[in-house]
Amino acid sequence: MSDNNYLQVNHLVKYFGDDRAVDGISFGIPEGKFLTLLGPSGCGKTTTLMCIAGLHKPDAGEIRIGSDPVTSIEKRINTAPEKRNIGMVFQSYAIWPHMDVTQNVAYPLEIRNMAQSEIDDRVAEALKIVGLTDMADKNATQLSGGQQQRAALARAMVFRPRLLLFDEPLSNLDLKLREQMRVELKRIQHEIGITSIYVTHDQAEALVMSDEIIVMSKGHIEQTGGPHNIYARPVNQFVSNFIGVANLTEGRIVGNGGGGTGTIEISQGGENVQLPCLLADGLSEGDEAYLSVRPENVDASREPMDGPRIEGEVIQSVFLGNCLDCRVKWGEFEWKVLAHSRERLRVGEKVYVRLDPDHTLAVKP
Amino acid sequence: MATDTAAPQIDVAPPRGWRTWFTQENIITTIVGLIVAVAVIVPLIALVINSFLVLDDLGFDTEWGLQNYREVFQGRVIRKALINTAIISTGCTILATLLGVSLAWINARTNCPFREKLEPFNLIPFFLSPFVGAIAWHNLASPKVGLLNNMAKSIFGISFPLFNVNNLWGVIWVTGIFFAPLVYLFVVGSLRRMDPSLEDSARTTGAGLFRTTMTITLPLVTPAILSGAIIVFVTTAGEFGVPFKLSAPFGWETLTTQIFTKAVGDDANHYLGAAMSMVVGVVTAFFIWVQHRIIAPRSYTTVTGKGFRPNLIDLGGWKWLAFTYNMLYVCVAVFLPIICLFFVSLHKIWSGRIIWSELTFWNYQKVLFFWWPESIQAATNGIINSFILAFGGASIAMVVAIIVSYMIHRTKGFGARLLDFLSVIPIGFPGIVLAMGVLVTYIRTPIYATLWILLLGYITRFFPYGQRNISSIMMAVSEELDQSSRMAGASWLTTLRRITIPLLKPGIFAGWILLFVIFLRELSISIILYSAGTETLSVGVYYLSNFENEPMTSALSIAQTVALLICIVIFRKVAGKEALTA
Repeated sequence: MSDNNYLQVNHLVKYFGDDRAVDGISFGIPEGKFLTLLGPSGCGKTTTLMCIAGLHKPDAGEIRIGSDPVTSIEKRINTAPEKRNIGMVFQSYAIWPHMDVTQNVAYPLEIRNMAQSEIDDRVAEALKIVGLTDMADKNATQLSGGQQQRAALARAMVFRPRLLLFDEPLSNLDLKLREQMRVELKRIQHEIGITSIYVTHDQAEALVMSDEIIVMSKGHIEQTGGPHNIYARPVNQFVSNFIGVANLTEGRIVGNGGGGTGTIEISQGGENVQLPCLLADGLSEGDEAYLSVRPENVDASREPMDGPRIEGEVIQSVFLGNCLDCRVKWGEFEWKVLAHSRERLRVGEKVYVRLDPDHTLAVKP
Repeated sequence: MATDTAAPQIDVAPPRGWRTWFTQENIITTIVGLIVAVAVIVPLIALVINSFLVLDDLGFDTEWGLQNYREVFQGRVIRKALINTAIISTGCTILATLLGVSLAWINARTNCPFREKLEPFNLIPFFLSPFVGAIAWHNLASPKVGLLNNMAKSIFGISFPLFNVNNLWGVIWVTGIFFAPLVYLFVVGSLRRMDPSLEDSARTTGAGLFRTTMTITLPLVTPAILSGAIIVFVTTAGEFGVPFKLSAPFGWETLTTQIFTKAVGDDANHYLGAAMSMVVGVVTAFFIWVQHRIIAPRSYTTVTGKGFRPNLIDLGGWKWLAFTYNMLYVCVAVFLPIICLFFVSLHKIWSGRIIWSELTFWNYQKVLFFWWPESIQAATNGIINSFILAFGGASIAMVVAIIVSYMIHRTKGFGARLLDFLSVIPIGFPGIVLAMGVLVTYIRTPIYATLWILLLGYITRFFPYGQRNISSIMMAVSEELDQSSRMAGASWLTTLRRITIPLLKPGIFAGWILLFVIFLRELSISIILYSAGTETLSVGVYYLSNFENEPMTSALSIAQTVALLICIVIFRKVAGKEALTA
C-alpha cells in the first residue's frame, strides 16, 4: 500500500444479501491519473464506485482520499456523499429536467453558497471546456444524448471536486458518438488534470482512455496494469478472453527457460505440440495453464514453417482487405488466424499454423 | 502503481443479526409502515372479531358464535340481498365491459368523427357521483314521476310506463353506464400503446380486418379488459347509493343497503353488519388479488418508449353509426341526467312533467344558503364539511402517498416491502366495508361523531390512489437524479426539496385533485361514519332524498355536480390526457 496514492481503497467488502458483490479488493491511484474499472456486468465495478461515492456503505474496508479517510468501517467512519466533494457522471446523465443547462451546472455552486458573480464565471468556464457555451439557456430536455453527457460532465467538475467518477457514461450513446466522446473525455480530463475513476464493460473504451486499468470479475481484481500491458500480457484466462480476441486452449507447462520464458504443451486428438512461450507470473513447470495468443500473432501458410508443426484445415476464410480472417481446424480446436492476404487461403486447404513465440503466452487458468 | 492484485482474503461474514437491522432506512420505513399498518389493518381485524360476536335477544350482551354468518347465508332477508348483490355485480360488469370496450375501440382505433371531442365526455361519468346518477334516472324513468315515461305518454300516447328503473335492472343500468369508464380507461391505454406492426403482420398473412381485430387486437387487450371488468365487479359489489335509491325502497335490498340499515338506525346491530361486510370484503379482496397477481402481470402491452401511431380503421359509412352510438352513451350518462336534475330542481313539487310557469330557484336557497335560517341544516352542513374533508383529506393523503412512495421506491428497508403490500389492501375493500371496520374500531373513542373519523376513513381507503399516481412517476424518474444531487453536495433534505419534489410536482397535483374529487362525492364511507353535524355533501343528498323531496335533492345534486365538473376541467388542464390511463 503506497502513501503516494491520492485515492486508496483497502480491503473493500460489500454484500447484497448473502452475495459478496465486492470481495475484499484493494487498489490505489496517484493524483491526476485516469483509472478504469473494467469487467462484465455483475463484477462489482459499479458497486465499488458507489462505495467510493458514498452512495453505498461497504460492509468492511476503508477508503481514503488524500489524507482524508472518507470511509473506514473499523473506525465507524462513513462520510455522507455530499460531504465528500466528489464529482460524478451517471450512466443516465441525470440532467435534471426541470432546470436549464445553466441551472444544472450552477447547482453544486449554489449549494456551496458561492457569490453569484463567481457562479456565473465558473459555469461559463465549465460550459466552455465541454463545448456547450451555446446551449447555456437550453432546457435539459432539448439536449441530445451527447450534449446531456457534456452537461453532466460540466456539472460534475464545476465545483472542482477532489475526484471525478464516471459510471458507464458512454453506454447510452450510439457507436460513432461514443468513439468521439472517448477521445473528448480523455482530453478534458487531461486538461483539468483531475484524478478520475471510470467504470465500463467496454474494453475498447478502457484501452483508449486509461492510464491504468483494473480488470474485475466476481468481486475480485483479476489484473491491474496499463492498457498496453493488459492487452499484451494478460495474466490469466479470464483477462485474455475478456480483452480483445485470443486463441485460448488448455495446456501444461513442460519447461522453464528462465527469464520468464518456458514451454507449454497442448494436445488435440492424440497429437501433442510443445510451444515456446512467455510464462505469466507464478507459473512453473508442471502447472496446468492456458495457451493464449492473439490472432494477429498467428500465421498460416501452405508451406511448413520452422518450429513446432501444427497442421490443420481451413474451415473459414474471409477477405478483409489488409488480411484474411481465417479459422483453422486442428483436432477439435479452431485457431483464429489473421493471415497475410497474399496467401489467398481457401476453405478446405491443408495449412500449417505458426505462433509468434514472442507473443505466445502461458496464462493461469 | 501500488495496487496489490492478490488481495488477502478478508474474512467478513455477511451482515446478520439484529444489530445490522438498525439502519436509518429500516427504522424510518418500519415506523411509517407501522403507522400505515395500524390505520389499515386494525379496522379489518376489528371487523373480523366483531363479526363473530353475536348480540343476544335483548341487545345488551354478546357472545362468540357463528350466528351472524348463519344469518347472512340462511336468513331470508339477507340471503336475498346477497343474491341481489351477485346479480347486480354480474349484470353491471357485463354491461360496463361491453360499453367500455366498444367505446375504447371506437375512440382509439377507428376514424369515428369528432372522437377527440368525445373522449373527455366519455370519462365524465368516472368523476361524477353514481348516487346522483341514480337520483337523475329515478326522475327520468321511474313509472310515475319519470320524465321519459310522461313524455312518451303525452307525445306518443303510450298509456303504460315505458321504462321502470325501480328494480335490479335499473341498478344494473345506472351502475353499468357510470362504471363503463373504468373499463374504458384500462382498454383505451392498452389499445393506444399497442405496436401496430402486430396487426400489420396479421394483415400480411391474409387475415381480413374483422379477423385481425378478433384474433389479434382483442386477445392482446384481454388482460386490460379483465382488469377493468374485475374493478367494475368489485366497485359494484360495494356500491351503496344506486341500489339504495333505485331498488331498496321497492323491495330489492343488497348487502350494502343491509349493512347500512344494520350500522345506523334503531335496530342497529354492528356485529351482524360486520359479518355482512366480511362477506363482501372477502369476495372483493379475492378478486383484487386475482387482478393484481394474475392478470396485471400478464398484460402484453408492448411499451417500447416509441410513440406509436396506432392503425386507424376506416369504418366508411359505418363511422356515423359509431359516432351516434358514442353520442348516445354520452347522452344517457351525462347530458340527460344533468338536464333532468336541473329541471327537477327548478320545481317546488315534481310530478314527472316540466311545468314552465312554475320554475323557481327556491330549492337552491333551501339547500345551499347555509346562513339563511330557513335553510336545511343537514344539507348545508355538507357543503362546508365536504370542502373541509376534501381539502384536508386530499392534502394529508398526498403527504402520506409521497412518503410511502419514497419509501417503496427509494429505500430498501424491510418496511418498504411492508408498505408496498399495505397500500394495495385498502383497494381490495369497498368503502362501506372499511367504514364498518373503522366504525367498530373507534366507536368508543372520542373521534367518533367528529369529522376526524371521516377523515381517517377517507385517507385510509383512498391514499393508495394518490400513492399509485406518485409511484408511477417515481419509477419513471431515475434514482440517479437524486444521487447526482447528493454528489453535487446537497444534503438529503435539500435534494428532496430541490430535486425530488419538483420532479414529482405534476403527479402530486394530479393526485391531489383526483382525491379532492373522490372525497367531494364520497358516500359509502360517510353514510356509515357521519352523525348529526358531520354530514357531507352526499349525505346531504341522501338526507334530502329520504326526508324531503326530489326537487331539493336535485338542487343539491346539481350543486355537487357543478363543483365536480369544475374539478374535472382543472384536472385535465393540470394532468393532461394521459394522466388517467394507468
